[in-house]
Amino acid sequence: MEREKRKDGICLRMENISKQFPKVLANENISIYLKRGEILALLGENGAGKSTLMNILYGLYRPTCGQIYINNHEATLLSPKDAISLGLGMVHQHFMLIENLTVTENIVLGMEPGSWGFIDFKKARKIVKELSEQYHLFVDPDAKIEGLSVGQQQRVEILKALYRKATILILDEPTAVLTPQEVDGLFVVMRSLQERKVSIIIITHKLEEVKAISGRVYILRRGKLAGERVTKDISKAELAHLMVGRDVVLTLNKENRITEKKPGFTLQNLFVKNDNGVTALNNLSLEVCPGEIVGIAGVAGNGQKELEEVLIGIRRIEKGNILLTGKNISRYGVKKRIQSGLSYVPSDRYRYGLFLSMKVSENILASSLDRKPYVNGINLRLRVINRRSEELVTMYGIKTPSVHEPVSNLSGGNQQKVILAREFSREPVVLVVSQPTRGLDVGAIEFIHSEILKMRDRDTAVLLISMELEEIFALSDRILVLYEGSIVKEFDPGKTSHKEVGYYMTGGGER
Amino acid sequence: MNDFFTLFNVELLHSTIRLSTPITLAAVGATICERAGIVNIAMEGLMLIGAFTAVFFAYITGNPWIGLLAAVIAGGIFSLLHAYATITLHLDHVVSGAVLNILALGLTNYLLILAFGHPGTSEPVPVSLAEYQFAVPFLSQIPVIGPVFFNQRPIVYMSFLLIIFFTLFLYRTKTGLHVRASGEHPLAMETIGVSVYRIRYLAVIISGLTSGLAGAFLSIENSNVFTSGMTGGRGFIALAANISGGWSAVGSFLASLFFGFAEAFQYKMQAARLLDLPSELFVMFPYIATVIAVAGLVRKSRPPKAVGLDFRIEKQAD
Amino acid sequence: MTAREILYKYRVIVFILLFLLAGSGIILYITSYFAGLLFILLAIIIYYGFHFLLKDKRIVLSEIKSIAKKMLIPLAGITIAVLIGAVVMIITGYNPLTAYGALFYGGFVKNWHVSLLNAAPLIFTGLSVAFAFKAGLFNIGAEGQYYIGAMAAAGLGIYFDWHPLVTIPVIFLAAGLLGSLYNFFPALLKVKTGAHEVITTMMFAHIARYFSSIFIRNFGGDPSTSSHPYVTDPVLPSNWLLRFKDMFPWANYRLHSGIIIAILTAFFVHYLLSYTRIGFEIRAVGSNPAAAKTQGISTGKTVFIALMVAGFLSAMAGVNQVLGLDHKLYGNLSTGYGWNGISVALLASNHPVGVIFTSILWGALDAGGQYMARTQEVHNSIVEIIKGTVLFLVVARYLYTYWGQKRKKKETCNE
Repeated sequence: MEREKRKDGICLRMENISKQFPKVLANENISIYLKRGEILALLGENGAGKSTLMNILYGLYRPTCGQIYINNHEATLLSPKDAISLGLGMVHQHFMLIENLTVTENIVLGMEPGSWGFIDFKKARKIVKELSEQYHLFVDPDAKIEGLSVGQQQRVEILKALYRKATILILDEPTAVLTPQEVDGLFVVMRSLQERKVSIIIITHKLEEVKAISGRVYILRRGKLAGERVTKDISKAELAHLMVGRDVVLTLNKENRITEKKPGFTLQNLFVKNDNGVTALNNLSLEVCPGEIVGIAGVAGNGQKELEEVLIGIRRIEKGNILLTGKNISRYGVKKRIQSGLSYVPSDRYRYGLFLSMKVSENILASSLDRKPYVNGINLRLRVINRRSEELVTMYGIKTPSVHEPVSNLSGGNQQKVILAREFSREPVVLVVSQPTRGLDVGAIEFIHSEILKMRDRDTAVLLISMELEEIFALSDRILVLYEGSIVKEFDPGKTSHKEVGYYMTGGGER
Repeated sequence: MNDFFTLFNVELLHSTIRLSTPITLAAVGATICERAGIVNIAMEGLMLIGAFTAVFFAYITGNPWIGLLAAVIAGGIFSLLHAYATITLHLDHVVSGAVLNILALGLTNYLLILAFGHPGTSEPVPVSLAEYQFAVPFLSQIPVIGPVFFNQRPIVYMSFLLIIFFTLFLYRTKTGLHVRASGEHPLAMETIGVSVYRIRYLAVIISGLTSGLAGAFLSIENSNVFTSGMTGGRGFIALAANISGGWSAVGSFLASLFFGFAEAFQYKMQAARLLDLPSELFVMFPYIATVIAVAGLVRKSRPPKAVGLDFRIEKQAD
Repeated sequence: MTAREILYKYRVIVFILLFLLAGSGIILYITSYFAGLLFILLAIIIYYGFHFLLKDKRIVLSEIKSIAKKMLIPLAGITIAVLIGAVVMIITGYNPLTAYGALFYGGFVKNWHVSLLNAAPLIFTGLSVAFAFKAGLFNIGAEGQYYIGAMAAAGLGIYFDWHPLVTIPVIFLAAGLLGSLYNFFPALLKVKTGAHEVITTMMFAHIARYFSSIFIRNFGGDPSTSSHPYVTDPVLPSNWLLRFKDMFPWANYRLHSGIIIAILTAFFVHYLLSYTRIGFEIRAVGSNPAAAKTQGISTGKTVFIALMVAGFLSAMAGVNQVLGLDHKLYGNLSTGYGWNGISVALLASNHPVGVIFTSILWGALDAGGQYMARTQEVHNSIVEIIKGTVLFLVVARYLYTYWGQKRKKKETCNE
């Protein structure tokens, strides 16, 4: 009864929300509301505070100040448990699924059917089956998560929320990991949920998606609310302006200046296994010439991780060769590859790129501290090291109090610049760059893109691996599509579209 | 040579089961603890606390059962320190465990002097649990298996029941599923409204309880006194048993049997005097067996993904 | 001419004065006068003050600040632990004031030489643990390597008859290498199979302990005699470490030069870790092994180096005890140097120079505890509880940030 009365009413209000982290103010005095059955977009660049705001709504973080009202009642959200009981559901950007459990176990986790503390597995399976049929979200209830594709995993996440009877669904960057085709599928699901009176908040930094799916949009910039608009009344350019706070030049100065094809970096029939011993790279061959950027497009999990690891030399080659300017470096260790002129910007900068507890100077010269002029016998020449790192810090505009600061105290963008400074300043012949701008703000992205182009102009052969099609299209001279460990198609970025590349990324090109 | 083979008799198997009991108990606790994501190397100290408490209460009350109960409770309480340090204070698990081992050694030595007036060894308890050894009707009649498994002392039987209990717990109950999930992807648990902290506290306390019981076995069932540092590395062997057993209760039990056998065998060899070798060489045997087992089996199975890693809900934003 | 310029002009004189101050401090210190340590501290303070006046003030200030910050938590931990100890004493019926008085007087004044004797082996095992820690490894079995070193020292010391300037370095080296070799196996297993060093080195420690009993019987220990069944023959007097009494007649007769070797070793380890390539690689692997790999640093090699150097250092502790203090090897006793080594390393946040001070603190607590037990009838194992509590409170440093954050949270919203 109560529900019927407020059918078109506001189901959620967040008022004057602030969130102070130890070092940053992530949200500052933000107020938003959500109407029943609408699709609301939350737009902002990386680090604008969208996810923090939604994590507060979901009870995962506590707000420093501010109130939340759900169905006009003040809600104290101490944990996601409270949020779930009030009808909230959230699909996180990084899926919250336990890989070695089954779909059923993941969906019912925390609210398992059964009595006396025991789980009724049969009943659970039945419930999941019925739920997936009801919402047309088909997944095998007995499959383990580790065997599912990213799109299927997302479906499991949505089912998880629906199983908990969510009436407000938060989707955090749901399209980041999907191909254009899968995105269309997701939008269909979202609209059908909307028809069932589920209210949806979608977090995104992509303007097209805001236009395509949402009815209303909030724009967040640096932790503050920059505006609220009805989607059909605002243009993309205006949205972009609100989001970044200035006009964005989306086109980079790039021209294909390659004249003659010289051998730069060649991979011949590469076979590589992943951690589970399954073939991850399957007869992969490609060539990158000096002065050329080759972009590897593909959905995550098609061998990108194994490719970057095998190139730098921390993963074993089963079969095949890697040639660097004609020289076979397949048998070389990491050190010898670096000395031969290979540089590497890893996709996971915390795992492979940085020594967080160590000084900027030690990070920025990490790969050079075994040779002159930085060492003398076994002694480190600290004065030379400090002078050179200060040079690099200025050259790459790294914001740090001194070169003695631990890298952990730097911001994400500056940390990535430390890696760039280290890898680019070695004057490499071949540069492998993977996901160079993940999680960075627009300013840092622009800087990194222009540095990569500078490297190309210095005749470096650049291999760019990225999940962001925009990035691939913006930088590459040639695009190669990686699907299930092989290159399935080559494109000229000027003569193709996101859709077409996306088609091949999902295996559409096979036969 | 004939003499050598006569060593392998029912009695050897019987003492294998008996001597593997403390390792089994601690190893099962370690399994639960590591499945929830916490490494507990403090079990050595927890066993020591349990062993002392058991003797102390059995001594003053004259009732070993009260000693047993007190040991279990003391293990649980002391393990709270490890839980608090690793879960709430985000301390490195191994460091916290090492510190607690040091603390437990100091504490038991201090209390030993306070309670019995002299260092090294306590007074013997009036009644030990060894006197409660009994044969299970019918089951003990089965050839070989009967006398080996079903003519034992109370804590040995308890360990059998606990293995069954914890296997069911891990794979059939809601809390068990939550334990397994917490060690794989703790944040996922938080997002569905299950407190990882609570689950992990529970798991650490469980390992404290079983370690306390293991300690009671050492002091008031397998002997009748407390000796300073009497655990002799069994907490670490239990850790090895859990790893070699592939993070499962049954696996831990089987691996513990191997270590129990190593110990039983070395006693036999010492007693039999078949070889004219220093007895210490035999005493070393279980430790060498542990190294071999850990080295040989460690890569055979996959550890819980988040084991040993610190977990915070509110990560520092970029 | 400003004061700064005058100072600069006469900097040589200042440095000579500092050197004299520190030197006399060291002599007083090693000859068992606690005041010596104060002299050394004074020299350090003047040195920093001097730098503060001459160099960039900001850098010196931030350095001092960071040192003070590092000291804050250990000092807070010690204070709270002392209070907890007092409560325990009151509960168990002792007067904490007189007990602590005796503890302090015994540890730092009356039996200062005992404190130093206790500290020397701890510095070695502490350095061993700290060094491995820097590479992200936990050498929990330092006690085993201690026994290996002690056995080597006893074995060689009994028979190796030559000039001490030859024999003593050779014994240190041989024992150290054996200690390294003993840690070679855990390192090998770690690299090849991934077996955790906490388990393997611990097991190896137990093995070494039992092996020492066999060793003692073969080197003079006789179980059939009732007087000294578990002890080897004494080592040759020519192999004894130099005693201070031979140089400074007023020094205590048991004090030997081991403490000097220990302190020099600590500074050498500090140099090795902070100023050399190998040290950098070890710290890099300790900080992030995966990233170290992508920078061309061999993690396997580093694990070997770290564990073997750790073995070497622990073995030196054994040599120090056998050649310096006991002059024979006692058996069947858990010495606790392994566990205490972990304590002093953790307490010093694995800083090699910090290990010197924490070892002295631990040594003084033990020495003071014995004095307290003799004079006050409080058993000295109360010291074990204080040590354990100090350690827990210092190691759990997040305790302070945790409490701090809780308070802060309330403050921000009131604005």
